[in-house]
Amino acid sequence: MSSVIAEKEGKIWAVGGGKGGTGKTFLASSIGIYLAKSEKRVILIDVDIGGANLHSLLGISRPKKCLTNFFETGTSLSRLAVKTGIENMSLITGDVHSLASDNIRFTQKLKLFRHIMKLNKQYVIIDLGGGSHNNTIDTFLMADKKIAVLEPEIIAIENMYHFVKNALFRKIRMSLRSYGFKEIVEHMWEQREKYQIKSLKELIDSLKDSFSYIGDILDRELADFRIYLVLNKIRSSQDILIGSSMKSIFNKYLGIDAKFVGYIEYDDVVWRSIRERRPLMLNYSLSRVAKEIGVFTENLLYEREMKISRI
Amino acid sequence: MTKKELKKYFDILEISPEATLMEIRSAYSRLKKLYSTDSVVISPIEDEFSIEERQKILEQIEDAYTKLMEQVKESQDRLVHHERPFAAGHNTMEGEEASISYSGQVLRQIREKMGIELFEVSLDTKIRVELLENIEQERFDDLPPEVYLKGHIINYANYLLLDSQKAAADYIARYRAWEKANKEEK
Repeated sequence: MSSVIAEKEGKIWAVGGGKGGTGKTFLASSIGIYLAKSEKRVILIDVDIGGANLHSLLGISRPKKCLTNFFETGTSLSRLAVKTGIENMSLITGDVHSLASDNIRFTQKLKLFRHIMKLNKQYVIIDLGGGSHNNTIDTFLMADKKIAVLEPEIIAIENMYHFVKNALFRKIRMSLRSYGFKEIVEHMWEQREKYQIKSLKELIDSLKDSFSYIGDILDRELADFRIYLVLNKIRSSQDILIGSSMKSIFNKYLGIDAKFVGYIEYDDVVWRSIRERRPLMLNYSLSRVAKEIGVFTENLLYEREMKISRI
Repeated sequence: MTKKELKKYFDILEISPEATLMEIRSAYSRLKKLYSTDSVVISPIEDEFSIEERQKILEQIEDAYTKLMEQVKESQDRLVHHERPFAAGHNTMEGEEASISYSGQVLRQIREKMGIELFEVSLDTKIRVELLENIEQERFDDLPPEVYLKGHIINYANYLLLDSQKAAADYIARYRAWEKANKEEK
């Protein structure tokens, strides 16, 4: 569409957001199909531990090869990728049985990330699954585009806030650890009452105030920490405002940038397509939901935001 | 008001200094709603967020909006009373150059100067775009009866932060003049 504007670098996209059932897997597969149909090469990676079911949404049977083979025998990622029946798009799946998240050692995880980053000739869409486990958060942090899916209801909102907050805190700790300042952060956070720190933003601000070199490190490391918000299953135009409000809260209390890229209206067509085991983006490509997915995927590609005043 | 102050107010409302009047308004009402009601979005930060703080944020929002609106009003007064961009070249206001009279054209020019599209006006005022167009173009034939028309003009003028009573009086006077001329023709 807007091929004049260069696509921003950053082809590893992770879809997460804390709460289960908000539609992360559906979104990851739909984004993947949209990109593949726009003639981009796409690899979907399902790391939804305990609930790897991306293949079901695509209507294919569970692949025999999975990430376990990568960890145990070092099979390369490109050899693990299976065809999805959709041109330009392949799938790497996690394994429900042996890939209990605790089994992955830190070094293994880093190796996986290194190999994922080498896939950079194509778009890598990672389905994270729910929860705020460290492995989930680390994968989220590794991604170039951190996509967070939200439903307009209180539990999803709270879970997402805590998911992003945990991710940010982990990012701060990891960044400063590699410079040997990990203790300072942990000390300040533990003694936050004494330092009158109430939010992560205040923690970051007071770290910056007290130690200018830490400020430089954080500025550099957090410069690209940006959340891309997608609001799923909305039922009224009032619901859309929740996206903008989340953005305000992220900004004020976590001090991070968030882009509200789009929303999907609640529609039975999603349920129908899942039941029929045929991707909505193929079988209902003219539906409103499919159009809305197209809109925010374009926004993700070109770093645009949803226009609120045009509702 | 200095540029820096202006920028601060725009920042508080989380909008860019290029924002249209419509965007300023919707940002204001959205943020006010977010912090004054028990919005679901607030719930995760409740423990990080005292009532005093919330009050302070609301005050800032209120202040920023008031100041920005004053600014808009000021630039409009300048537009209407001093710059008189409509005085030359247009003959719609014969003999009235000294004090501005709100014609359809004046309303349109003020709106355009504020960078507001007709559909934006329509969204906020609930007046149909075609009707707004007819008002601005003074297609009196297509306008509703006077009582309704007056309501629309007041509504529209309020939206543009104008003196709505004067706007309605001016416009209705033009409407009546047309009506009279029309009757005489017949």
